Amino acid sequence: MKYIYFLLITLTFFSCQEEVVLDLRQTSQIPVIEGIWTNSNGLNQVHVSYSKNYYSEEQNQVINDAEVFIINQRNGQRVSFVFNEQIQSYLPFNNRLGTVGESYELHVIIDDKEYISIGKMLPPPTLDSLTFKYNEDRVFREAGYYVTLYGKIPFVEENNYRLKIIRNDTLLNRRSDYLLFDDTFGTSILERGFELGGFPFQEGDRVRLELYRLNDDAYNYLSQLVSLLFNDGGLFSPPPQNPISNIKPVDGVGEVLGYFMVSPFISATINITEDDSD
Amino acid sequence: MKANHFMRFFLILFITYPLFFLANPQAVLAQEDSFLEGQVFEVATNNPLPGANVYWENQPQKGVVTDLDGNFRIPRIELPSKLIVSYIGFEESIRVINQKDHNKPLRFFLQESQMALEEVIIRDRRPDENVKSLDMGKSVVAIETIKNIPALFGEVDLLRSLQLLPGVQTAGEGTTGLFVRGGSADQNLIQIDGAPVYNPSHFFGFFSVFNPDALSGVEFYKGNIPSNFGGRISSVIDISLKEGNYEKVRGEGGIGTISSRLTVDGPLFSENSSFVVSGRRTYADMFLRLSSNPEINSNDLYFYDLSGKFTFKLGEKDKLSVSSYYGSDFLGLSSQFGLGWNNWVTSITWNRNISERLFFDLNAYHSAYQYNVNFDDPDNGFKWGNRLSESGVKAEWNFNVTENTLINWGVHSQLYNFAPISLDPAPGSAIEPIATNPRNGMQNNVFIGAATDVTDRLRVDAGLRWAIFQLHGRGVDYIYAEGEPSPDAEITDSLVFRPFQRIKGFNGLEPRLSFRYLIQDDLSIKASYNRNFQYLQVASSSSAGLPIDRWILAGTYVPPIRGDQVSVGVFKNLEGNKWEVSGEVYYKDIKNIIDLRQGANILFTDNVESEILTGNGYAYGTEFLLRKNTGRTTGWLSYTYSRTWRQIDGISFDQWYNPRFDRPHDLTLVLNHEFNKRWSAGLTFVYTTGQAVTFPVGSYEVDNQRLPLYSGVRNDDRFPDYHRMDASVTWKNVDKGRKWKGSWNFSVYNLYGRKNPFAYQFTEIYNDQINFTPTQTDVIESRRPGVVMTYLFTFLPSVTYNFNF
Repeated sequence: MKYIYFLLITLTFFSCQEEVVLDLRQTSQIPVIEGIWTNSNGLNQVHVSYSKNYYSEEQNQVINDAEVFIINQRNGQRVSFVFNEQIQSYLPFNNRLGTVGESYELHVIIDDKEYISIGKMLPPPTLDSLTFKYNEDRVFREAGYYVTLYGKIPFVEENNYRLKIIRNDTLLNRRSDYLLFDDTFGTSILERGFELGGFPFQEGDRVRLELYRLNDDAYNYLSQLVSLLFNDGGLFSPPPQNPISNIKPVDGVGEVLGYFMVSPFISATINITEDDSD
Repeated sequence: MKANHFMRFFLILFITYPLFFLANPQAVLAQEDSFLEGQVFEVATNNPLPGANVYWENQPQKGVVTDLDGNFRIPRIELPSKLIVSYIGFEESIRVINQKDHNKPLRFFLQESQMALEEVIIRDRRPDENVKSLDMGKSVVAIETIKNIPALFGEVDLLRSLQLLPGVQTAGEGTTGLFVRGGSADQNLIQIDGAPVYNPSHFFGFFSVFNPDALSGVEFYKGNIPSNFGGRISSVIDISLKEGNYEKVRGEGGIGTISSRLTVDGPLFSENSSFVVSGRRTYADMFLRLSSNPEINSNDLYFYDLSGKFTFKLGEKDKLSVSSYYGSDFLGLSSQFGLGWNNWVTSITWNRNISERLFFDLNAYHSAYQYNVNFDDPDNGFKWGNRLSESGVKAEWNFNVTENTLINWGVHSQLYNFAPISLDPAPGSAIEPIATNPRNGMQNNVFIGAATDVTDRLRVDAGLRWAIFQLHGRGVDYIYAEGEPSPDAEITDSLVFRPFQRIKGFNGLEPRLSFRYLIQDDLSIKASYNRNFQYLQVASSSSAGLPIDRWILAGTYVPPIRGDQVSVGVFKNLEGNKWEVSGEVYYKDIKNIIDLRQGANILFTDNVESEILTGNGYAYGTEFLLRKNTGRTTGWLSYTYSRTWRQIDGISFDQWYNPRFDRPHDLTLVLNHEFNKRWSAGLTFVYTTGQAVTFPVGSYEVDNQRLPLYSGVRNDDRFPDYHRMDASVTWKNVDKGRKWKGSWNFSVYNLYGRKNPFAYQFTEIYNDQINFTPTQTDVIESRRPGVVMTYLFTFLPSVTYNFNF
């Protein structure tokens, strides 16, 4: 689809753009919950906030008095989360972690209204090695060093992956930096070598890749989020909709935004140096 | 009870007429001597002249009109009398008919009028036809009329011209998709010489595939679709390729701002056969190659189309024509990436006059559409493509029982082949190949229709079409847990079907009924009811079609669409047919339309049904039309008030919502004026309510992204009202006997430069620059929420040189 978007850009050959101010309707505040639960230290947190007016340039209103906890569905073990003023998010008490193979419930209670989401921490694929090589300028690809990821996906189902790319300790988080893939094109992608085609690096860059294996609903949420970021409101785009959240009000009444991601975490790092190029 | 009455009437009509003539053959024969027959030709080309008026002196109201082959048949009066043949733009022919002429074949040759340049033909039809005919929601648009309408880039466009008729909406600026009386773009049957065209657009829908020079006419049905047409619920656009002349080789063409075209026609081998070939090509890529920048001159961007028609008169009673159309688009980047798509449509038609009253038409066709995407890259390259085709045979008989009673019947068989979608990665690619299973279907239709005058004032037309559709192998059907397909449903089994093995079948009766009551000779009311089934549709959630759109056939989980429409209208002519006024109201009910689930990815899946949502819709509206047909100034003013609604579980909280093309108010003015033999001008003004769209009601942040917040109610907001004026001026080289005749057309699209929005994008604006897309190394100094409006084509002038020889 990335290519299709590129092609549609050619339609703007005879188009012009300008910024306008539309009189938009407003809705009441809706809670936004973003929960990350992995088997790694330093990643697990739950962020709770409210939505705001479209044109508002103020910081999101963070909810700091919610009750947040995660329950292991198998043994009922509860992990409480505590609000951290510094990062404006809830962190697990005692830096507790998730375990691969276990299923978890996220509970968030805001003003006596409880929200819940469920996720299973699936086994991770194998990440063997990273290599890189220099590529000349080509269609859809700038000149630069490109990283190739090698590994193995031994699973026949629930193949939903997200790759995060951290360049020199900075997460690449533009809309075009999302790297989501499933098994539409097979599962041998890592064995054959998965070149990160859209990400040119320079000599001296330090590249860290983080690989997550997501549940279907969390993966679909992120896929829809990316589609929404690329939705240009034109005839060729589907009608815009909020990504479907995997978090629900316990009583089934009301709205909630955001998602809960339960995932194993694996990562690898490589330094781009001329001497090591393939 | 009403249904019983209707069926009884219907049965009586069809049973009694054949019995009547079988039992009483002399009823037909007795009338033979009471008619005079003949044929009318255009003297310059020797071509038959359809639509000419033939009447006895002082009795114009009892006249008749020549048919498509120029034939006429008029009740005889006491001889000798003067018979008059007239046609707009031609000199009148008056001949005294004596008793001895009665049994001779009469041939009239009409000379083009010297004053013809001062007339513009709006419609090729007889006076009072709009009042006296049974047609409702039907427009016969002359190609000359279309050519006189100011055009985008000067490219005369058939489908864009149809958008100017009442009841037809557009999806957005510049696009050629038609949304007829609340129907979607895939609910229109667009056919050339009887063969359907699956993707009738070039350049992502901004131009239609029809080269106007290659066409002879178009009939557009949006209300009462006759029983000999079927398969789409909203409209039929029946386009005829031009037939070559039989006298001498002629040519016409044009050199435009973005394309040029050439058409040549003439006799082939003898005076009994003719040919016409036509071609058009854009040349944007040729300009690109002039650039010294290799990043620009290595790109391709073009479309072209070619068409041809060969006609053979096989005697007095038979005519055979073979026509073919091929149109192709290509977009290429640096010889490495290419996207191309093409239509190839071929049809063979045999017309036979079995007798003076019975006519037979046999049409066989094949229509194929395919697209290909090719990315030549050693690491990530692939070839992706798909092809679909329809082949068909249609046989139709038309029987003129009496002057006022017509019966037609026929059969139509269609074979659909939707090939697997295939994606083949380059040898070194990390991704694996994809191939879906094919989908095949067969549809057999029988139809019958009859029209007669019940009284002097009441005319009735009734028709019935019975379509039997079968989805068959080769193919695969999937079985889902709990019987219902969904992305989460487990596939418990898959059934493999052999070629032509039945997978799923449907059939449905499609009745048509219409009445015309003549209050006065120039005033009538009409009513019609129409039911159609549609066994294939496009699975898409966007409003405009893309070349890679996926057509799907009705099957185990996707029922056929059913459309029912009732309409009532009043038709009035003024000042001796100089003006026409009409008003129509309609209501349309639609069952089993589809949309896609949120986030559906249907491009490569073999389980399309799991991504589809099914629901219903309805539409209603009222249409007014004021049309001036003759004189130096011609044109029309139309106004439509219409609404359309959809209800599909899973969308908009399962509540009724408006699709994007719901645009309640629609006003159109089309004017043409002939100043003199050299100069003429055209003016078009359109005003419509803005498109129904979804705007955000807030924003929030997830995953470090700022997202617009939507209410969940679909299309609850509106673009601003759309309005635009186009104008054109044409200068013609006065005919001084030279063979080469040229004319210049200067046109301006969007004369007053209105910035009609094409899209609003709700996005973050970085560094106060709306087009700034930060790279990995750019410094972001500021970011804020914003709305960026995209608009197209403000004050777009163009010039075209047209010629004929």
